Amino acid sequence: MPHQVFARVLSNDPIIAGHQVITCEAPTLAAEAQPGHFVNVLTAERYDPLLRKPFSVYTVDRDRGQISLLYSIVGATTASMSRKRPGEMLDMVGPLGGRIFQADTRPDTTHIMVGGGYGVPPLVFLSRELRLAQSAPNIKFIIGARRKDLLLCEAELVAAGVDARVATEDGSHGTSGRVTDVLEPLLLENSGLPVAVYCCGPTPMMKAVAELCLKLGVTCQLSVEVAMPCGIGVCMGCVLDLTDGRRVRCCVDGPVFEAGEVKW
Amino acid sequence: MTNINTAVKIGKLTLRNPIVTGSGTFGFGPEMANIVDLNKLGAVVVKSTSREPRLGNPTPRIVETPSGILNAIGLQNSGVDNFIAEKLPFLRNYDVPIIVNLVGTEVADYVHLAEKLTAAGGVHGLEINISCPNVSHGCDFAVDPALTAELIREVRKVTDLTLITKLSPNVTDMVPIARAAVDAGSDALSLINTLIGTAIDVRKRKFRLANITGGLSGPAVKPIALRCVWQVHRALPNVPLIGMGGIMSATDAIEFLLAGATAIAIGTATFVNPTASTDIAAGLEAYLIENGIADVNELIGAVTQ
Repeated sequence: MPHQVFARVLSNDPIIAGHQVITCEAPTLAAEAQPGHFVNVLTAERYDPLLRKPFSVYTVDRDRGQISLLYSIVGATTASMSRKRPGEMLDMVGPLGGRIFQADTRPDTTHIMVGGGYGVPPLVFLSRELRLAQSAPNIKFIIGARRKDLLLCEAELVAAGVDARVATEDGSHGTSGRVTDVLEPLLLENSGLPVAVYCCGPTPMMKAVAELCLKLGVTCQLSVEVAMPCGIGVCMGCVLDLTDGRRVRCCVDGPVFEAGEVKW
Repeated sequence: MTNINTAVKIGKLTLRNPIVTGSGTFGFGPEMANIVDLNKLGAVVVKSTSREPRLGNPTPRIVETPSGILNAIGLQNSGVDNFIAEKLPFLRNYDVPIIVNLVGTEVADYVHLAEKLTAAGGVHGLEINISCPNVSHGCDFAVDPALTAELIREVRKVTDLTLITKLSPNVTDMVPIARAAVDAGSDALSLINTLIGTAIDVRKRKFRLANITGGLSGPAVKPIALRCVWQVHRALPNVPLIGMGGIMSATDAIEFLLAGATAIAIGTATFVNPTASTDIAAGLEAYLIENGIADVNELIGAVTQ
């Protein structure tokens, strides 16, 4: 159930250029948040910027009651967040999101995570939850970035024993090209076997991944990113047109949709 | 001190406190019922309802501007029949007046809506939206006292529910329109609707809203809204006003009461703080207790120079 939390910041450290991980003490959020959920953060004290900004949940530590967000410093809210020191408070509303990632339950499923940019963190969360729920889930993780120095979470995935593959647009690390250049051969290799794709990233990337999965008949869940002014389903600002003709709210009717549902 | 009175009257309605929700910022109730106890509100004003379902405008529909937002939703809703069948049964479970915001393009649309909602049972008031800035003809009524009077007169004939006319600030003088609405049978007035504005992306050299213009709300409009409430209250001191426009805190709400509002609608604030409406209701009560004010009605119009 969404609620407002003033959470004590425990740490807030850079990971790569322009990206930080903020960890807060928020036991209720840590208990309730699942992969695909997001929280809305407010940093302005005098209404400018007025609206909260959404952040997908990166990790939770339920035992310690902690929640972490991995964010890219791009605007006023994230700039303010980046200046938060341990001991200061972060104003969050969450967990938000009506329809979130659903782990495929078919036996022996290969779970393929496809993440680009700050679409990677919620999939890291999903991978962690899969590993908690199953003894040895078969997870393949594809991380996309423009350049090597913009890659997120590769080292931690490798350290956790996850098969992590990389695509960089300039070829500075891993496969030279886009995530679909790694995904397509992987899907063909697993043709006929149970495979589920989970994707989060920039819209052009998600569109390409969705089209590839539809072409090859693979189920694909996408966490769609559009501007979500309220996050609680009442402002009607984040609407999305679906292929069945419905116009739905991304925040509470999503943000996770099946590949075939979204009208790009 | 528990013997303070927070109740106010709007037409036939008694509100347990002056805090109501702003239409279009609180859904139809169910969206918010997990977050806010509806029974702690003075009234719930639900989203605009039209005769036929409306898909609304293309996106982007909301953009941020300094201390405000511009919206051009375009009255997306599932239509009055869906409201009565799907939303109203839920709302009937609550002990709070339900006010439905009506929107149409012709007098006949409003009359049809008023008849249906009056017959449905469980609706306590009708807010007549003559001032939506985001649809064609949406403002025609609101800028013309004669058209406003004709509309309210016709709606008045078909309903005994409390009628509230929502006024536009996008006029030279709101007072003649306010007076026309009241003379035609409106029990109360809501003000203000949003102010028409726009914003441009200089890098793309394009308008930021797909609809080009939108309605400005949020703290940026509060001084204008407060001035409008004061002007209309001064001209029509016996007409209950629901004041709205950028109210973010109990202090803001008290300003509107002092300017002459009987009730206060919380709109954009709910987008920022989902519990803003009940937080402000609690803050207002705390203010009354702290200041030894026995009745919230003592504050209404009590501003002095």
